[in-house]
Amino acid sequence: MSKIYKNYTAYFIFVVPALLLYITFYLIPLFNSLRYSFTDWNGINDPVYTGFGNFAKALADEKFWVAFKNNAYFVGFSVFIQVPLIIFISIIVSGVKRFLGFYKLTVFLPSILSTASVSIIWKFIYAPEAGLLNQVLRTIGLDSWVKIWLGDEAYAIFAVLVTNGWQWTGFYIVLILAAIFAISKEVLEAGEIDGATGWTKARLLTIPLIRPVIGVTLLLSVTGAMKALDIVLIMTKGGPFGSTELMATYMYKQAYSMNDFGYANAIAIVITLFTALVTLGLQFFNNRSKEDAY
Amino acid sequence: MNNKPKRRILPHVILMAYVLSVLYPLWFVVVSSMKNNTEMFNDPWGLPPSWNLTNYASVLSNSLVIRNFMNSMFIGLIATVTTILLSTAIAYALTRMKFKSLNRIVYGLLLLSLLIPPASLLIPLYTMIQELGLYNTYFALIIPYAAFGIPLTVFVVSAFLKSIPLELEEAGVMDGLTTYGILLRVIIPLTMPTLVTVFILNFINNWNEYIMASLFLSSQELRTMPVAVVAFADKFNMNYGALTASIAISIFPVILMYSFFQKSIIEGVTAGSVKG
Repeated sequence: MSKIYKNYTAYFIFVVPALLLYITFYLIPLFNSLRYSFTDWNGINDPVYTGFGNFAKALADEKFWVAFKNNAYFVGFSVFIQVPLIIFISIIVSGVKRFLGFYKLTVFLPSILSTASVSIIWKFIYAPEAGLLNQVLRTIGLDSWVKIWLGDEAYAIFAVLVTNGWQWTGFYIVLILAAIFAISKEVLEAGEIDGATGWTKARLLTIPLIRPVIGVTLLLSVTGAMKALDIVLIMTKGGPFGSTELMATYMYKQAYSMNDFGYANAIAIVITLFTALVTLGLQFFNNRSKEDAY
Repeated sequence: MNNKPKRRILPHVILMAYVLSVLYPLWFVVVSSMKNNTEMFNDPWGLPPSWNLTNYASVLSNSLVIRNFMNSMFIGLIATVTTILLSTAIAYALTRMKFKSLNRIVYGLLLLSLLIPPASLLIPLYTMIQELGLYNTYFALIIPYAAFGIPLTVFVVSAFLKSIPLELEEAGVMDGLTTYGILLRVIIPLTMPTLVTVFILNFINNWNEYIMASLFLSSQELRTMPVAVVAFADKFNMNYGALTASIAISIFPVILMYSFFQKSIIEGVTAGSVKG
């Protein structure tokens, strides 16, 4: 056995191709991004080293801050609205017996559709005249609520957030549901004997017991919010007047509309740093709460 | 006792409202795809007057949709198969072979991927694809897709491999199997259900990918479905019938796969993200 598993040639053949591909497409681009972020580069001529110039530029760039604020909205919407809603619905679903499979199946569906299709579907829902939303509002007599949803600075970002929520809420519900069903029957029954039912049971038993998965949900939805790109690109292209710009779309525009590849790479590094910090922070928090649980 | 029936019904009312908000937009797309513009404005809610497939016919004949569909299939399948082969091999090496410190370094490198948002790699990748001469070829998507699938697939397959006992492999050694023989004859057959799951997951991801597909390819003949649908939406801005028909065509294969493999899709997606 040990001879079979101490085969250098085999190890080389198994490990190197995957590792090479991974390093070439994950780590080398990251390294290049870091390198170019310290340069002034239009994508064609030779890059010129400018130190922290691009990062200073970002700090002083009002449009970058708008994008940053929108990413913060995205994160805030996930943490304070979406995740509580997800937990609430998951607990309701876990309590029903009839149609359980049906609920799981339908709720999960949007998360396997492409963001491109979802964005187009919702663009269609928000369309000023034929759009589903305005049609509904007109039909129930709320004509004054009719808006040009994606063309209005005050509503566009929320319209995008709702779309993103529509796509991903069900995914997390199924994730949390799996954790709820993994709680041992004895623990729950013991709780019921002690008089914990309904929402008391949820608050005192279920939620503390699924805390690790809530942590994972927070982590995934926050990092998802940090890297959101195509949904905005397709639905609003960052408009109207830059009001829905995200860091990633701003990065994209700096590269492909402004040919400022140095600045675009600097923004990419900022996104990576934030994502890494949030991930490590939440991971640390999760590990601590896991230790608390035992 | 009095509020018992009420308590039984309330959860279903809430859940049905939620299910309706999920399904109705999709239903609306399908219904709209069978109407012309006049019918849509006059009667947005009703069923189409007849099973009118002219929108589908015009989408399929006036454009490269069939070509785009085949591109997505081809790119998605090749990239997915590559990911699965490479990931299974490396997962086998990392969980079974006796190179402790090397294994730890490789696994650590793979874990780094969790900290790197793919969107932030877009620009250096674009530069790299051009330098490698891959721009506007199938490989411009196949290779990055195959690479981006690797980390999560390795995590899921490794987790499964750790859970199977060594006895079967020991029996394989007794029968004279080599390192490769054990992988092919023992490990892969045992891992098949997991491999099917990660296959579907990777395929759906590749099928749905938009941003790289829109950046790394320029010719219409090479476009994948998501890019084609977005291009359609820009082109048929006001022709809602054709637009909704093209959306329906693009989501149909995924929904079909979902209806066949729902269980392993749900299990795979959730297991993958918890382990990752």
